[in-house]
Amino acid sequence: MGTSVAVSGIGLVSTVGSTAEQVFEAACSGRSGLTRPAADHPLHGLLDVAGFSPAIDPASVLPATESRFVDRSIVMALRAAEDALADAGIKIGRDVEADRVAVVVSGVGGLALHEEQVLEYGRKGRLGVSPYMLPGVLPNMAAARISIKFGIRGYTSSVGTACAAGAQSVGEALRILRAGEADLVLAGCSEAPLFGTFASSFTNARALAHGWDDPAQASRPFDRRRNGLVLGEGAGVLVLERLEHAQARGNGWHAEVLGWGATNDAYHPTTPRPDGSAAADCMRRALVDADLAAADIGYLNAHGTSTKAGDAAELAAIRLVYGDDSPPVSSTKGVTGHMLGASGLVEAAIGIQALRRGLLPPTYNLSEPDPVEVDHIVGQPRPAQVAAVLSNSFGFGGHNVSLVLGRPGPR
Amino acid sequence: MKDETRQFLLDTLTTMNYPIDGVDDDTMLGPSGADLQSLALAELAVRVEDHFGVRFNDDESEMLAGMTMGEFADLVESRVQAKSAS
Repeated sequence: MGTSVAVSGIGLVSTVGSTAEQVFEAACSGRSGLTRPAADHPLHGLLDVAGFSPAIDPASVLPATESRFVDRSIVMALRAAEDALADAGIKIGRDVEADRVAVVVSGVGGLALHEEQVLEYGRKGRLGVSPYMLPGVLPNMAAARISIKFGIRGYTSSVGTACAAGAQSVGEALRILRAGEADLVLAGCSEAPLFGTFASSFTNARALAHGWDDPAQASRPFDRRRNGLVLGEGAGVLVLERLEHAQARGNGWHAEVLGWGATNDAYHPTTPRPDGSAAADCMRRALVDADLAAADIGYLNAHGTSTKAGDAAELAAIRLVYGDDSPPVSSTKGVTGHMLGASGLVEAAIGIQALRRGLLPPTYNLSEPDPVEVDHIVGQPRPAQVAAVLSNSFGFGGHNVSLVLGRPGPR
Repeated sequence: MKDETRQFLLDTLTTMNYPIDGVDDDTMLGPSGADLQSLALAELAVRVEDHFGVRFNDDESEMLAGMTMGEFADLVESRVQAKSAS
């Protein structure tokens, strides 16, 4: 069990909005961000449906000379960090010493830019490859560029746990703040997977939703008619502070991160452990860390990607923890698609909004639930004042991470 | 020929988002002039190698920051002529 920390800033880039309020409104109203790739998009004809986030001019977040050769994942991370700091009212050096700030921002890295460079190498050899490629694509560069841009001089890192990486970054931030190694942490993740090789690998793995006339119906977590996930791009950064630090600043905070847990399935590189036992242990660890009982959770934001194996394993895990008495459960990926590790941040923001608003978003497109019984929220958002929210993120490699959020703050 | 070389260098700086107002033969390529940092100098060299079919060795690449535009254009010229003569 450890102390909680305050979430004082939220910055998001997603297909359904750039603020927690916009994303929450989409999740509650069923306003889908999923569309067909435009006729002039490189993925047209390759993907049926995807979640495209708004274009961001790299020159709006980087000096002109550095903006020309950088992956979109880094650009989105910088925008999310900028917005999160603005939301928190933080200026590094004025409100917190630069060496007392840490950054843990993750993601799979700049693979789209890497793909372009590999193609250029094939076409022109050495002279086709830019000296800027490595700083443009390395997976630490979202975190590093944030530190460079904002003059942050403390611990800076990224974690590579695939779709669990965003939630795990929040967990690492808790660890850092509890250890007293920083007063404030930017924790986040940014993912830009909408390019040819990445999409082809998912397609050939038969993991993607396909064949839906209405792209808004393609992502349907826990629904019997689902036939895969919908890839999306997005980013999220949370500003996390020790509670007393946030109180002393007097600028308020959104809610608290009460605890987290992490486990590994020890089963298979991509298939989740079917009995859900490691995911269940992950949730239990998070509850212990938050000093809560399972029954204290009033809403569970599921990982729920809309794949048969993943959804089934998570439902089994929820049943292991809760038996017949699950909290209300939903997956908001029905409207957002799966933004890989960035989903963990967007879903944490949705969980915080649920706490603050007393409203629980439904699972969009869930009309024929799987036979495993949990308390699915379907159709309309459900009014409920809840004390704590549990948010799951699971990733290739068997990585499981659960966050517990609670205690809305004075914002 | 030198005009063509000079124009290629200016066009390349523009492509790389560096301002070229006031840049002439006497402008240093490095921080005291056009302000190209290490990777930018490396990119300029690679683009010249690709366009003119020449090659710079490591020592020459390290000296670029201390060269003026005119000196670099001369180096490119000499390398192109040496290539033509060989």
